[in-house]
Amino acid sequence: MNVLEIADLHMSFGNNKVLRGLNMEIPENSVFGFVGRNGAGKTTTMKIVLGLLKAQCGFVKVCGEEVRYGATRTNRHIGYLPDVPEFYGYMKPMEYLRLCGEITGLSSALIKDRSRELLELVGLDGVNRKISGFSRGMKQRLGIAQALLNEPRLLICDEPTSALDPIGRRQILDILSAMRGKTTVVFSTHILSDVESICDRIAVLEQGELVLSGTLAEIQKQHRRNSYHIRFASDGEAEEFSQTEELKREGVELEREGCSLTISVSDVSVGAQELIDLLSRKSMAPERFEVLEPTLESLFTEVVQ
Amino acid sequence: MSHFLVFVKKELVEYARTYKLLILLVVFIIFGIMNPLVAKLTPELLTSFMPEGMFVTIPEPTALDSWAQFFKNTQQMGLIVLLLVFSGVLGTELTKGTLINLLTKGLSRQAVVLAKYTAMVLVWTLSVVVSAMLTWIYTVYLFPDGPMGYLFVAIFCMWLFGVFLLALLLASATMVRGNYGGLLLTGLALVILMVVNIFPEAHTYNPLSLGAKNMSLVSGTVDPSSLYAAMVVSTLAICGLLFLSVLVFQKKEL
Repeated sequence: MNVLEIADLHMSFGNNKVLRGLNMEIPENSVFGFVGRNGAGKTTTMKIVLGLLKAQCGFVKVCGEEVRYGATRTNRHIGYLPDVPEFYGYMKPMEYLRLCGEITGLSSALIKDRSRELLELVGLDGVNRKISGFSRGMKQRLGIAQALLNEPRLLICDEPTSALDPIGRRQILDILSAMRGKTTVVFSTHILSDVESICDRIAVLEQGELVLSGTLAEIQKQHRRNSYHIRFASDGEAEEFSQTEELKREGVELEREGCSLTISVSDVSVGAQELIDLLSRKSMAPERFEVLEPTLESLFTEVVQ
Repeated sequence: MSHFLVFVKKELVEYARTYKLLILLVVFIIFGIMNPLVAKLTPELLTSFMPEGMFVTIPEPTALDSWAQFFKNTQQMGLIVLLLVFSGVLGTELTKGTLINLLTKGLSRQAVVLAKYTAMVLVWTLSVVVSAMLTWIYTVYLFPDGPMGYLFVAIFCMWLFGVFLLALLLASATMVRGNYGGLLLTGLALVILMVVNIFPEAHTYNPLSLGAKNMSLVSGTVDPSSLYAAMVVSTLAICGLLFLSVLVFQKKEL
Protein backbone atom coordinates (compact mmCIF):
# COMPACT_ATOMS: atom_id res chain seq x y z
CA MET A 1 0.00 0.00 0.00
CA ASN A 2 1.14 3.55 -0.69
CA VAL A 3 1.31 5.79 2.36
CA LEU A 4 1.74 8.89 0.25
CA GLU A 5 0.42 9.58 -3.25
CA ILE A 6 1.14 12.82 -5.06
CA ALA A 7 -0.46 13.46 -8.44
CA ASP A 8 0.10 16.26 -10.93
CA LEU A 9 1.15 18.79 -8.28
CA HIS A 10 1.73 22.33 -9.52
CA MET A 11 2.87 25.26 -7.41
CA SER A 12 4.24 28.72 -8.22
CA PHE A 13 5.44 31.62 -6.14
CA GLY A 14 4.82 34.61 -8.40
CA ASN A 15 6.49 33.80 -11.70
CA ASN A 16 8.67 31.15 -10.14
CA LYS A 17 7.27 27.71 -10.96
CA VAL A 18 8.39 25.52 -8.08
CA LEU A 19 6.47 22.33 -8.89
CA ARG A 20 5.56 21.34 -12.45
CA GLY A 21 3.24 18.36 -12.35
CA LEU A 22 4.96 16.31 -9.65
CA ASN A 23 3.87 12.67 -9.43
CA MET A 24 5.15 10.40 -6.68
CA GLU A 25 4.11 7.33 -4.73
CA ILE A 26 5.74 6.14 -1.53
CA PRO A 27 5.12 2.56 -0.37
CA GLU A 28 4.59 1.72 3.28
CA ASN A 29 7.56 1.03 5.57
CA SER A 30 10.22 2.31 3.18
CA VAL A 31 12.94 4.82 3.97
CA PHE A 32 12.51 7.23 1.11
CA GLY A 33 15.19 9.73 0.13
CA PHE A 34 13.82 12.86 -1.47
CA VAL A 35 16.80 14.44 -3.17
CA GLY A 36 17.21 17.73 -4.95
CA ARG A 37 19.21 20.89 -5.13
CA ASN A 38 18.36 23.83 -2.89
CA GLY A 39 15.21 25.39 -4.31
CA ALA A 40 14.22 22.25 -6.23
CA GLY A 41 10.82 22.18 -4.48
CA LYS A 42 11.38 19.64 -1.70
CA THR A 43 10.20 21.79 1.22
CA THR A 44 7.28 23.13 -0.81
CA THR A 45 6.16 19.56 -1.56
CA MET A 46 6.39 18.64 2.12
CA LYS A 47 4.43 21.69 3.22
CA ILE A 48 1.68 20.86 0.72
CA VAL A 49 1.58 17.29 2.08
CA LEU A 50 1.15 18.77 5.58
CA GLY A 51 -1.63 21.12 4.46
CA LEU A 52 0.46 24.20 5.25
CA LEU A 53 0.61 25.40 1.64
CA LYS A 54 -2.04 25.32 -1.05
CA ALA A 55 -1.17 23.68 -4.35
CA GLN A 56 -2.48 25.33 -7.48
CA CYS A 57 -3.28 22.02 -9.10
CA GLY A 58 -3.14 18.30 -8.36
CA PHE A 59 -3.81 16.31 -5.21
CA VAL A 60 -2.05 14.64 -2.33
CA LYS A 61 -3.31 11.59 -0.47
CA VAL A 62 -1.94 10.43 2.88
CA CYS A 63 -2.95 6.87 3.82
CA GLY A 64 -5.71 7.09 1.21
CA GLU A 65 -7.17 10.37 2.55
CA GLU A 66 -6.94 13.52 0.47
CA VAL A 67 -5.04 16.41 2.08
CA ARG A 68 -7.04 19.63 2.40
CA TYR A 69 -5.20 22.93 2.70
CA GLY A 70 -5.63 24.58 6.12
CA ALA A 71 -7.18 21.43 7.59
CA THR A 72 -5.19 19.11 9.78
CA ARG A 73 -7.12 15.82 9.65
CA THR A 74 -4.58 13.88 7.59
CA ASN A 75 -1.78 15.07 9.88
CA ARG A 76 -2.80 12.47 12.47
CA HIS A 77 -0.99 9.93 10.26
CA ILE A 78 2.11 12.13 9.98
CA GLY A 79 5.08 13.01 12.13
CA TYR A 80 6.98 16.04 10.87
CA LEU A 81 10.49 17.22 11.56
CA PRO A 82 11.17 20.66 10.01
CA ASP A 83 14.69 21.54 8.87
CA VAL A 84 15.04 23.92 11.81
CA PRO A 85 12.58 22.72 14.45
CA GLU A 86 11.45 25.53 16.74
CA PHE A 87 10.20 24.96 20.26
CA TYR A 88 8.97 27.00 23.19
CA GLY A 89 12.26 27.82 24.85
CA TYR A 90 10.74 28.18 28.31
CA MET A 91 9.62 24.52 28.31
CA LYS A 92 11.59 21.41 29.25
CA PRO A 93 11.65 18.41 26.87
CA MET A 94 9.11 16.38 28.89
CA GLU A 95 6.76 19.39 29.07
CA TYR A 96 6.98 19.95 25.33
CA LEU A 97 6.23 16.30 24.59
CA ARG A 98 3.30 16.47 27.02
CA LEU A 99 1.90 19.44 25.08
CA CYS A 100 2.32 17.55 21.79
CA GLY A 101 0.75 14.42 23.29
CA GLU A 102 -2.25 16.33 24.60
CA ILE A 103 -2.80 17.87 21.17
CA THR A 104 -2.52 14.44 19.57
CA GLY A 105 -5.13 13.17 22.04
CA LEU A 106 -2.99 10.59 23.83
CA SER A 107 -3.84 9.62 27.40
CA SER A 108 -1.75 11.07 30.21
CA ALA A 109 -0.17 7.73 31.11
CA LEU A 110 0.66 6.97 27.48
CA ILE A 111 2.22 10.41 26.99
CA LYS A 112 4.46 9.80 30.00
CA ASP A 113 5.55 6.35 28.80
CA ARG A 114 6.06 7.36 25.16
CA SER A 115 7.95 10.53 26.14
CA ARG A 116 10.39 8.57 28.32
CA GLU A 117 10.84 5.94 25.61
CA LEU A 118 11.43 8.53 22.86
CA LEU A 119 13.75 10.72 24.89
CA GLU A 120 15.80 7.63 25.56
CA LEU A 121 15.77 6.75 21.85
CA VAL A 122 17.08 10.19 20.87
CA GLY A 123 19.55 10.36 23.74
CA LEU A 124 17.84 13.11 25.72
CA ASP A 125 16.74 11.03 28.69
CA GLY A 126 17.63 12.74 31.92
CA VAL A 127 17.98 16.14 30.25
CA ASN A 128 15.82 18.31 32.48
CA ARG A 129 16.65 21.84 31.47
CA LYS A 130 14.92 24.47 29.37
CA ILE A 131 14.94 23.95 25.58
CA SER A 132 16.28 27.49 25.11
CA GLY A 133 19.68 26.17 26.22
CA PHE A 134 19.73 23.28 23.72
CA SER A 135 22.27 22.96 20.91
CA ARG A 136 21.12 22.59 17.29
CA GLY A 137 21.70 18.83 17.40
CA MET A 138 19.73 18.44 20.64
CA LYS A 139 16.84 20.40 19.13
CA GLN A 140 16.95 18.16 16.06
CA ARG A 141 16.80 15.06 18.28
CA LEU A 142 13.93 16.50 20.30
CA GLY A 143 12.28 17.25 16.95
CA ILE A 144 12.47 13.57 16.04
CA ALA A 145 11.01 12.61 19.44
CA GLN A 146 8.02 14.92 18.98
CA ALA A 147 7.53 13.71 15.43
CA LEU A 148 7.39 10.08 16.58
CA LEU A 149 5.17 10.69 19.61
CA ASN A 150 1.90 9.74 17.91
CA GLU A 151 3.48 6.63 16.28
CA PRO A 152 2.94 8.10 12.80
CA ARG A 153 2.60 5.93 9.71
CA LEU A 154 4.54 8.56 7.81
CA LEU A 155 7.54 10.43 9.21
CA ILE A 156 8.54 13.45 7.12
CA CYS A 157 11.97 14.92 7.79
CA ASP A 158 12.99 18.06 5.96
CA GLU A 159 16.78 18.15 5.62
CA PRO A 160 17.30 16.86 9.15
CA THR A 161 21.08 16.64 8.88
CA SER A 162 21.96 19.66 6.79
CA ALA A 163 23.27 21.87 9.59
CA LEU A 164 24.70 19.29 11.94
CA ASP A 165 28.28 18.30 12.71
CA PRO A 166 29.37 14.77 11.59
CA ILE A 167 28.58 13.20 14.96
CA GLY A 168 25.15 14.84 15.19
CA ARG A 169 24.49 13.81 11.58
CA ARG A 170 25.41 10.19 12.28
CA GLN A 171 23.13 10.14 15.35
CA ILE A 172 20.15 11.43 13.38
CA LEU A 173 20.80 8.96 10.53
CA ASP A 174 21.01 6.09 13.01
CA ILE A 175 17.70 7.08 14.59
CA LEU A 176 16.00 7.35 11.19
CA SER A 177 17.53 4.07 10.08
CA ALA A 178 16.17 2.40 13.22
CA MET A 179 12.67 3.40 12.08
CA ARG A 180 12.90 1.05 9.08
CA GLY A 181 10.01 -1.41 9.12
CA LYS A 182 8.18 0.50 11.86
CA THR A 183 7.14 3.57 9.93
CA THR A 184 7.59 5.09 6.49
CA VAL A 185 10.33 7.71 6.51
CA VAL A 186 10.47 10.45 3.88
CA PHE A 187 13.76 12.19 4.20
CA SER A 188 14.61 15.23 2.08
CA THR A 189 18.22 16.21 1.65
CA HIS A 190 20.90 17.32 -0.73
CA ILE A 191 23.55 15.27 1.08
CA LEU A 192 23.75 12.24 -1.20
CA SER A 193 25.91 10.13 1.09
CA ASP A 194 23.15 10.30 3.73
CA VAL A 195 20.65 8.99 1.22
CA GLU A 196 22.95 6.19 0.10
CA SER A 197 23.57 5.14 3.67
CA ILE A 198 19.98 4.77 4.90
CA CYS A 199 17.41 5.02 2.09
CA ASP A 200 15.98 2.07 0.23
CA ARG A 201 14.05 4.18 -2.29
CA ILE A 202 15.07 7.46 -3.88
CA ALA A 203 13.42 10.23 -5.87
CA VAL A 204 15.36 13.09 -7.41
CA LEU A 205 13.51 16.35 -7.85
CA GLU A 206 14.81 18.89 -10.35
CA GLN A 207 13.05 22.12 -11.28
CA GLY A 208 9.78 20.86 -9.86
CA GLU A 209 9.79 17.54 -11.71
CA LEU A 210 10.81 14.04 -10.75
CA VAL A 211 13.82 13.07 -12.85
CA LEU A 212 14.77 9.83 -11.10
CA SER A 213 12.78 7.43 -8.97
CA GLY A 214 13.08 3.90 -7.64
CA THR A 215 15.40 1.82 -5.50
CA LEU A 216 19.08 2.67 -5.75
CA ALA A 217 19.69 -0.69 -7.47
CA GLU A 218 16.93 -0.02 -10.03
CA ILE A 219 18.23 3.45 -10.75
CA GLN A 220 21.78 2.17 -11.13
CA LYS A 221 20.54 -0.53 -13.48
CA GLN A 222 18.55 1.94 -15.57
CA HIS A 223 21.45 4.32 -15.90
CA ARG A 224 24.24 1.81 -16.09
CA ARG A 225 26.86 2.51 -18.69
CA ASN A 226 29.46 -0.17 -19.15
CA SER A 227 32.37 1.39 -17.31
CA TYR A 228 35.53 -0.43 -16.39
CA HIS A 229 38.59 0.47 -14.46
CA ILE A 230 41.83 -1.34 -15.34
CA ARG A 231 45.07 -0.83 -13.43
CA PHE A 232 48.29 -1.94 -15.13
CA ALA A 233 51.71 -2.55 -13.65
CA SER A 234 53.17 0.43 -15.49
CA ASP A 235 52.20 3.63 -17.30
CA GLY A 236 53.61 2.14 -20.52
CA GLU A 237 51.28 -0.85 -20.42
CA ALA A 238 48.29 1.41 -19.82
CA GLU A 239 49.37 3.62 -22.75
CA GLU A 240 49.88 0.61 -25.00
CA PHE A 241 46.46 -0.84 -24.21
CA SER A 242 44.77 2.53 -24.73
CA GLN A 243 46.20 2.57 -28.29
CA THR A 244 44.54 -0.77 -29.17
CA GLU A 245 42.77 -0.44 -32.54
CA GLU A 246 39.60 -2.26 -31.35
CA LEU A 247 39.04 0.46 -28.75
CA LYS A 248 39.38 3.33 -31.21
CA ARG A 249 35.79 3.56 -32.29
CA GLU A 250 32.58 5.43 -31.67
CA GLY A 251 30.90 4.79 -28.30
CA VAL A 252 34.12 4.02 -26.45
CA GLU A 253 35.63 6.62 -24.18
CA LEU A 254 39.09 6.18 -22.69
CA GLU A 255 40.58 8.10 -19.83
CA ARG A 256 44.12 7.32 -18.75
CA GLU A 257 45.67 8.51 -15.54
CA GLY A 258 49.12 7.09 -14.93
CA CYS A 259 48.86 3.33 -14.92
CA SER A 260 45.06 3.40 -14.60
CA LEU A 261 42.65 3.32 -17.49
CA THR A 262 38.91 4.01 -17.27
CA ILE A 263 36.90 2.75 -20.22
CA SER A 264 33.28 3.86 -20.67
CA VAL A 265 31.39 1.98 -23.35
CA SER A 266 27.94 2.97 -24.59
CA ASP A 267 28.10 0.20 -27.23
CA VAL A 268 26.84 -2.77 -25.22
CA SER A 269 28.55 -5.22 -27.58
CA VAL A 270 31.81 -4.30 -25.92
CA GLY A 271 31.52 -5.88 -22.51
CA ALA A 272 33.86 -7.14 -19.85
CA GLN A 273 34.45 -10.38 -21.73
CA GLU A 274 35.61 -8.52 -24.85
CA LEU A 275 38.04 -6.44 -22.83
CA ILE A 276 39.42 -9.51 -21.09
CA ASP A 277 39.85 -11.19 -24.52
CA LEU A 278 41.70 -8.11 -25.79
CA LEU A 279 44.01 -8.14 -22.77
CA SER A 280 44.61 -11.84 -23.28
CA ARG A 281 45.44 -11.42 -26.98
CA LYS A 282 47.95 -8.74 -26.08
CA SER A 283 49.33 -10.95 -23.29
CA MET A 284 48.69 -8.29 -20.72
CA ALA A 285 47.85 -9.13 -17.12
CA PRO A 286 46.43 -6.11 -15.30
CA GLU A 287 46.80 -5.73 -11.56
CA ARG A 288 43.14 -4.87 -11.21
CA PHE A 289 40.04 -5.15 -13.38
CA GLU A 290 36.87 -3.57 -12.02
CA VAL A 291 33.34 -3.07 -13.34
CA LEU A 292 32.28 0.42 -12.19
CA GLU A 293 28.78 0.95 -10.76
CA PRO A 294 27.37 4.47 -11.14
CA THR A 295 27.26 6.27 -7.78
CA LEU A 296 24.25 8.30 -6.68
CA GLU A 297 26.43 11.38 -6.95
CA SER A 298 27.35 10.64 -10.56
CA LEU A 299 23.72 9.89 -11.42
CA PHE A 300 22.52 13.02 -9.64
CA THR A 301 25.07 15.16 -11.46
CA GLU A 302 24.08 13.53 -14.75
CA VAL A 303 20.33 14.12 -14.38
CA VAL A 304 20.43 17.65 -12.99
CA GLN A 305 22.86 18.99 -15.56
CA MET B 1 -8.68 17.72 26.83
CA SER B 2 -9.76 19.69 23.78
CA HIS B 3 -7.23 21.49 21.62
CA PHE B 4 -8.70 24.78 22.83
CA LEU B 5 -8.15 24.05 26.51
CA VAL B 6 -4.69 22.57 25.91
CA PHE B 7 -3.65 25.71 24.07
CA VAL B 8 -5.20 28.08 26.63
CA LYS B 9 -3.15 26.28 29.29
CA LYS B 10 0.00 26.59 27.13
CA GLU B 11 -0.62 30.32 26.63
CA LEU B 12 -1.10 30.95 30.36
CA VAL B 13 2.06 29.00 31.20
CA GLU B 14 3.89 31.05 28.57
CA TYR B 15 2.66 34.35 30.04
CA ALA B 16 3.78 33.22 33.48
CA ARG B 17 7.22 31.99 32.43
CA THR B 18 8.04 34.81 30.03
CA TYR B 19 7.12 37.38 32.73
CA LYS B 20 4.26 38.89 30.69
CA LEU B 21 1.80 38.08 33.46
CA LEU B 22 4.18 39.46 36.08
CA ILE B 23 4.73 42.73 34.19
CA LEU B 24 0.99 43.32 33.79
CA LEU B 25 0.17 42.41 37.38
CA VAL B 26 2.93 44.63 38.76
CA VAL B 27 1.75 47.57 36.62
CA PHE B 28 -1.89 47.11 37.62
CA ILE B 29 -1.06 46.54 41.30
CA ILE B 30 0.94 49.78 41.29
CA PHE B 31 -2.05 51.55 39.72
CA GLY B 32 -4.37 49.99 42.30
CA ILE B 33 -2.27 51.25 45.20
CA MET B 34 -1.39 54.62 43.67
CA ASN B 35 -4.90 55.70 42.55
CA PRO B 36 -6.32 56.56 46.02
CA LEU B 37 -2.96 57.77 47.27
CA VAL B 38 -2.48 60.20 44.38
CA ALA B 39 -6.05 61.48 44.87
CA LYS B 40 -5.42 61.98 48.59
CA LEU B 41 -2.00 63.59 48.25
CA THR B 42 -2.54 65.80 45.19
CA PRO B 43 -4.07 68.78 47.11
CA GLU B 44 -1.29 68.63 49.72
CA LEU B 45 1.38 68.44 47.03
CA LEU B 46 -0.17 71.35 45.13
CA THR B 47 -0.30 73.44 48.31
CA SER B 48 3.31 72.69 49.17
CA PHE B 49 4.46 73.80 45.70
CA MET B 50 2.55 77.10 45.84
CA PRO B 51 4.69 80.22 46.12
CA GLU B 52 4.68 81.76 49.59
CA GLY B 53 1.81 84.15 50.15
CA MET B 54 -0.41 82.63 47.45
CA PHE B 55 -3.66 81.06 48.59
CA VAL B 56 -5.72 78.78 46.40
CA THR B 57 -8.80 76.95 47.54
CA ILE B 58 -8.46 73.31 46.60
CA PRO B 59 -11.54 71.20 47.24
CA GLU B 60 -11.22 68.32 49.67
CA PRO B 61 -10.48 65.09 47.72
CA THR B 62 -13.24 62.48 47.57
CA ALA B 63 -13.67 58.88 46.48
CA LEU B 64 -14.62 60.21 43.06
CA ASP B 65 -11.10 61.57 42.61
CA SER B 66 -9.66 58.18 43.49
CA TRP B 67 -11.81 56.42 40.87
CA ALA B 68 -11.02 59.16 38.35
CA GLN B 69 -7.35 58.23 38.83
CA PHE B 70 -8.24 54.53 38.40
CA PHE B 71 -10.01 55.05 35.08
CA LYS B 72 -7.40 57.49 33.78
CA ASN B 73 -4.46 55.21 34.57
CA THR B 74 -6.09 51.99 33.41
CA GLN B 75 -7.44 53.40 30.17
CA GLN B 76 -4.27 55.20 29.22
CA MET B 77 -1.11 53.55 30.53
CA GLY B 78 -2.83 50.28 31.38
CA LEU B 79 -4.18 49.65 27.90
CA ILE B 80 -0.91 50.75 26.29
CA VAL B 81 1.05 48.28 28.44
CA LEU B 82 -1.54 45.58 27.69
CA LEU B 83 -1.22 46.08 23.92
CA LEU B 84 2.58 46.24 24.06
CA VAL B 85 2.82 43.04 26.12
CA PHE B 86 0.53 41.17 23.72
CA SER B 87 1.80 42.82 20.52
CA GLY B 88 3.61 39.64 19.41
CA VAL B 89 0.73 37.34 20.32
CA LEU B 90 0.67 35.63 16.92
CA GLY B 91 3.52 37.31 15.05
CA THR B 92 6.23 35.79 17.26
CA GLU B 93 4.92 32.27 16.74
CA LEU B 94 4.60 32.78 12.98
CA THR B 95 8.03 34.35 12.61
CA LYS B 96 9.78 31.70 14.72
CA GLY B 97 7.74 28.80 13.34
CA THR B 98 6.85 27.35 16.76
CA LEU B 99 3.29 26.64 15.64
CA ILE B 100 4.37 24.38 12.76
CA ASN B 101 5.09 21.34 14.96
CA LEU B 102 1.76 21.66 16.73
CA LEU B 103 -0.32 22.30 13.62
CA THR B 104 1.19 19.25 11.98
CA LYS B 105 0.06 17.28 15.05
CA GLY B 106 -3.53 18.12 14.21
CA LEU B 107 -3.98 21.28 16.33
CA SER B 108 -6.78 23.23 14.67
CA ARG B 109 -6.08 26.78 13.62
CA GLN B 110 -9.42 27.88 15.04
CA ALA B 111 -8.34 26.57 18.46
CA VAL B 112 -5.08 28.56 18.20
CA VAL B 113 -6.88 31.85 17.53
CA LEU B 114 -9.63 31.37 20.11
CA ALA B 115 -7.25 30.08 22.80
CA LYS B 116 -4.87 32.99 22.34
CA TYR B 117 -7.77 35.40 22.63
CA THR B 118 -9.21 33.68 25.71
CA ALA B 119 -5.84 33.68 27.47
CA MET B 120 -5.34 37.40 26.76
CA VAL B 121 -8.84 38.21 28.01
CA LEU B 122 -8.24 36.17 31.19
CA VAL B 123 -5.03 38.08 31.91
CA TRP B 124 -6.73 41.43 31.20
CA THR B 125 -9.64 40.47 33.47
CA LEU B 126 -7.30 39.45 36.28
CA SER B 127 -5.37 42.73 35.91
CA VAL B 128 -8.55 44.83 36.04
CA VAL B 129 -9.97 42.89 38.99
CA VAL B 130 -6.73 43.16 41.00
CA SER B 131 -6.35 46.86 40.27
CA ALA B 132 -10.03 47.62 40.97
CA MET B 133 -10.00 45.61 44.21
CA LEU B 134 -6.91 47.44 45.50
CA THR B 135 -8.33 50.82 44.49
CA TRP B 136 -11.61 49.95 46.19
CA ILE B 137 -9.95 48.82 49.46
CA TYR B 138 -7.75 51.93 49.69
CA THR B 139 -10.57 54.24 48.59
CA VAL B 140 -12.90 52.90 51.28
CA TYR B 141 -10.07 53.31 53.82
CA LEU B 142 -9.05 56.84 52.78
CA PHE B 143 -12.39 58.31 51.66
CA PRO B 144 -15.29 56.85 53.61
CA ASP B 145 -17.71 59.17 51.83
CA GLY B 146 -20.54 56.94 50.78
CA PRO B 147 -21.61 54.71 47.90
CA MET B 148 -20.64 55.19 44.27
CA GLY B 149 -23.20 55.50 41.46
CA TYR B 150 -22.77 52.96 38.71
CA LEU B 151 -19.18 51.99 39.58
CA PHE B 152 -19.46 48.36 38.48
CA VAL B 153 -21.07 49.32 35.17
CA ALA B 154 -18.25 51.80 34.58
CA ILE B 155 -15.61 49.14 35.33
CA PHE B 156 -17.45 46.64 33.11
CA CYS B 157 -17.52 49.17 30.23
CA MET B 158 -13.78 49.77 30.57
CA TRP B 159 -13.15 46.00 30.69
CA LEU B 160 -15.34 45.49 27.60
CA PHE B 161 -13.37 48.16 25.75
CA GLY B 162 -10.14 46.29 26.62
CA VAL B 163 -11.69 43.03 25.38
CA PHE B 164 -12.61 44.82 22.15
CA LEU B 165 -9.05 46.15 21.77
CA LEU B 166 -7.61 42.64 22.24
CA ALA B 167 -9.92 41.29 19.53
CA LEU B 168 -8.77 44.13 17.27
CA LEU B 169 -5.12 43.34 18.06
CA LEU B 170 -5.58 39.63 17.30
CA ALA B 171 -7.42 40.28 14.04
CA SER B 172 -4.68 42.73 13.01
CA ALA B 173 -1.99 40.17 13.90
CA THR B 174 -3.56 37.56 11.60
CA MET B 175 -3.52 40.02 8.71
CA VAL B 176 0.02 41.36 8.86
CA ARG B 177 3.37 39.72 9.46
CA GLY B 178 5.80 40.63 12.23
CA ASN B 179 5.43 41.56 15.87
CA TYR B 180 4.58 45.22 15.51
CA GLY B 181 2.49 45.15 12.31
CA GLY B 182 -0.54 44.09 14.33
CA LEU B 183 0.05 46.87 16.81
CA LEU B 184 0.25 49.46 14.04
CA LEU B 185 -2.94 48.20 12.41
CA THR B 186 -4.69 48.32 15.79
CA GLY B 187 -3.50 51.91 16.23
CA LEU B 188 -4.83 52.76 12.78
CA ALA B 189 -8.22 51.21 13.59
CA LEU B 190 -8.40 53.30 16.78
CA VAL B 191 -7.60 56.47 14.86
CA ILE B 192 -10.47 55.64 12.48
CA LEU B 193 -12.82 55.18 15.46
CA MET B 194 -11.68 58.56 16.82
CA VAL B 195 -12.36 60.21 13.46
CA VAL B 196 -15.81 58.59 13.36
CA ASN B 197 -16.43 59.98 16.86
CA ILE B 198 -16.32 63.52 15.44
CA PHE B 199 -19.93 62.96 14.37
CA PRO B 200 -22.20 63.21 17.47
CA GLU B 201 -24.60 60.61 16.01
CA ALA B 202 -21.78 58.02 16.19
CA HIS B 203 -21.22 58.47 19.94
CA THR B 204 -24.10 56.17 20.84
CA TYR B 205 -22.64 53.23 18.95
CA ASN B 206 -18.89 53.83 18.97
CA PRO B 207 -16.92 51.40 21.20
CA LEU B 208 -14.79 54.40 22.23
CA SER B 209 -17.83 55.67 24.19
CA LEU B 210 -17.33 52.77 26.61
CA GLY B 211 -14.28 54.51 27.97
CA ALA B 212 -15.58 58.09 27.74
CA LYS B 213 -18.36 58.14 30.34
CA ASN B 214 -16.80 56.29 33.26
CA MET B 215 -16.81 59.15 35.75
CA SER B 216 -20.29 60.26 34.72
CA LEU B 217 -21.46 56.71 35.48
CA VAL B 218 -19.62 56.65 38.82
CA SER B 219 -21.06 60.02 39.84
CA GLY B 220 -24.49 58.86 38.71
CA THR B 221 -25.03 61.68 36.22
CA VAL B 222 -25.37 59.30 33.28
CA ASP B 223 -27.69 56.33 33.12
CA PRO B 224 -26.12 52.99 32.00
CA SER B 225 -28.85 52.65 29.38
CA SER B 226 -27.11 55.38 27.35
CA LEU B 227 -24.26 52.89 26.79
CA TYR B 228 -26.31 49.83 25.89
CA ALA B 229 -25.99 50.48 22.15
CA ALA B 230 -22.19 50.86 22.40
CA MET B 231 -22.02 47.66 24.46
CA VAL B 232 -24.02 45.72 21.88
CA VAL B 233 -21.98 47.15 18.99
CA SER B 234 -18.72 46.32 20.80
CA THR B 235 -19.86 42.75 21.53
CA LEU B 236 -20.89 42.25 17.91
CA ALA B 237 -17.60 43.78 16.76
CA ILE B 238 -15.67 41.38 19.04
CA CYS B 239 -17.54 38.39 17.57
CA GLY B 240 -16.98 39.72 14.05
CA LEU B 241 -13.27 40.33 14.65
CA LEU B 242 -12.81 36.82 16.09
CA PHE B 243 -14.66 35.30 13.13
CA LEU B 244 -12.45 37.31 10.78
CA SER B 245 -9.29 36.26 12.67
CA VAL B 246 -10.18 32.56 12.37
CA LEU B 247 -11.06 32.97 8.70
CA VAL B 248 -7.84 34.81 7.82
CA PHE B 249 -5.64 32.51 9.90
CA GLN B 250 -7.16 29.41 8.31
CA LYS B 251 -6.19 30.71 4.87
CA LYS B 252 -2.72 31.82 5.94
CA GLU B 253 0.19 30.00 4.32
CA LEU B 254 2.74 28.97 6.95
